[in-house]
Amino acid sequence: MKTSKTKELIIKGRTAASGIAIGNAVLINSESKTVTPTSIKENEVLGHKERFSKARENLVAELEQMSGELKDSGTAEIIDTHQQIIRDPEIEKNVFDIVENKLLSVDFAVYQTYCSFIERLKESGSELFRQRIIDLEDIRDRFIAEVCDQKNKEPIKKGSVIVTKQISPTDLVSYYEDGAVGLVMEKGGITSHAAIIAKSLGMPCIVNADGVTKEADKDKSVVLDADAGALILNPSKKTIQSYRKKAKTQKKLAKEKAADEFETADGVPFKLLANIEFEAEVAKVEENRAQGVGLLRTESLLFGKRVRKSVEDQEAFYEEIVSKTTGPVTIRLFDIGGDKNARRPLKEANPFLGWRGIRLLLDEKKLLRSQLQAILTVAGRYPGRVKILVPMVSVIDEVRQIRNEIEKIQGALLSSGGQIDENVPLGLMVEVPSVAISAYQFAKEADFLSIGTNDLTQYTLAVDRGNERIHTLFQHYHPSVLKLIKMTAEGAEKADIEVSVCGELAGDEIGAACLLGLGIKELSMVPNSVLKINELLSSRPLKDFQELATSAIELSSSEELERLYGEWSQN
Amino acid sequence: MIKKKITIKNTAGLHARPSAQLVKLASKYKSDFYIHSYGYRVNGKSILGVMTLAAEHGAELELELDGADEKEALEAIVDAIESKFGMEED
Repeated sequence: MKTSKTKELIIKGRTAASGIAIGNAVLINSESKTVTPTSIKENEVLGHKERFSKARENLVAELEQMSGELKDSGTAEIIDTHQQIIRDPEIEKNVFDIVENKLLSVDFAVYQTYCSFIERLKESGSELFRQRIIDLEDIRDRFIAEVCDQKNKEPIKKGSVIVTKQISPTDLVSYYEDGAVGLVMEKGGITSHAAIIAKSLGMPCIVNADGVTKEADKDKSVVLDADAGALILNPSKKTIQSYRKKAKTQKKLAKEKAADEFETADGVPFKLLANIEFEAEVAKVEENRAQGVGLLRTESLLFGKRVRKSVEDQEAFYEEIVSKTTGPVTIRLFDIGGDKNARRPLKEANPFLGWRGIRLLLDEKKLLRSQLQAILTVAGRYPGRVKILVPMVSVIDEVRQIRNEIEKIQGALLSSGGQIDENVPLGLMVEVPSVAISAYQFAKEADFLSIGTNDLTQYTLAVDRGNERIHTLFQHYHPSVLKLIKMTAEGAEKADIEVSVCGELAGDEIGAACLLGLGIKELSMVPNSVLKINELLSSRPLKDFQELATSAIELSSSEELERLYGEWSQN
Repeated sequence: MIKKKITIKNTAGLHARPSAQLVKLASKYKSDFYIHSYGYRVNGKSILGVMTLAAEHGAELELELDGADEKEALEAIVDAIESKFGMEED
């Protein structure tokens, strides 16, 4: 029982995406219910058994989809275990026994069956096994919802703030489409996929908000001050008013300060572009005045709610993005593998160093060709707009092979009477130190380079960013990474091609200031950061940023850079 | 039908992940697979069955296989348990 509360209560969490959201709380995944037995007739038995099988199929498929989307392999493995639990032959045996012999409804049969296993685990007495009970309860509840066909989530009201233990990326996107304005997660972690997507959708988000699902009341207004990492429950009228004002000013300020010209105080131009993944984000590109899409992630076509592998489906997706934007659209080829190939039978000892990105695509020619064909077809309709970006390049031959494939497909498109863009720029992701170190040699083979700072940091520091135990070692501003970026910029300049940064560093104030100083004139980031970064980069002459960058690469840690930036920004 | 006694060697015991691996492996074979432990007998192709054994490090199990491919199955299962499911442990 919740105590009746009228006083403001602040729940703290970690900031995952900044901003302020004011709305009504919606609690998702609320507590489980007890299911009571209902008698059924003999002639209903078959129907109930079929409902069980159908529900099981759906649950397995749903998990399959999630395991493709989830970032770290540890979670994917747990999901794999969940699938096994759902498929467990003993569960079916038990459920069918209850339905057939006791003539009780399937929802109760599922409930009863899982509860009996939960009881047995409880009895087993080991703490380690007791933890699994939480998993079983979760599966039980989802199973019952599925069997009762209640799984279709209720649409939420516009302007709601989602309060939940955790949420799958696809659910988050669909709530966003329903009009959710904020996200508070009890679990998570700022690098969880849901948190990253919230950020990219411009949805204020805090994670690790202990006890929030117990404390928050459904449909009551809340204020999410993600900048301060706080959710305010039972806000007073005064609080709400002051936050409304604050939010309004923030918006206004950002708009006012969004200069039409993207240039430094001394008139050196730079470009700010947007990283997006879903159609829903297109509006954000123009709204934030980004000059194009610097990174269109395409993996959601394979792992999302709607798998769109066919050339036609992909074409429709690219067309939608290109037709609704005005600047260039850089489409990254499927960056799968590593953490994202949990569905594949191949288990690798070091997935991040293994079969991923371009390495996988060159083996899976059918997938590669279908994507290239879709991209090149759309590029033909919008000459000069589309660019292709190749992920996880580590040796030069990979680039040559891709170029070869592109030429073949362009040839085929032409001979079948299609229109092509002869000069579709082909770019390489710089996310492996080998490419940064030999940037000039790679740059000679490419039309542009795009630095993925998250992976580059991961491979330079040898730190898996999804691993919670060592996340403190993942230093965004590590000077060694900045040095590699500098080498890349120099290589690109020597080869006379463009270089951009499309990683998180670009949308971060310290990062963006240093990048500009290192000679990167094109930054691609989550749409919501564009205005803020433009404000920063246009506030000073280029020389200032260069001075900052020159000092930055001489430092020895992220912390030192944070301190240096603090002083720099005061002057 | 063949039977064999074996001791769990990995420090964390048959917790969720090793159980999952064991069940996955056993499910590849046609033979029926049961595990006896301290008076209990569970279906070795059921992850919940295996988990409820709560077999920790040092637990003694008796594996029972029955079917056309029982020999290969037993060998593979024993192998997996002996090699601690290929997990590095301290």
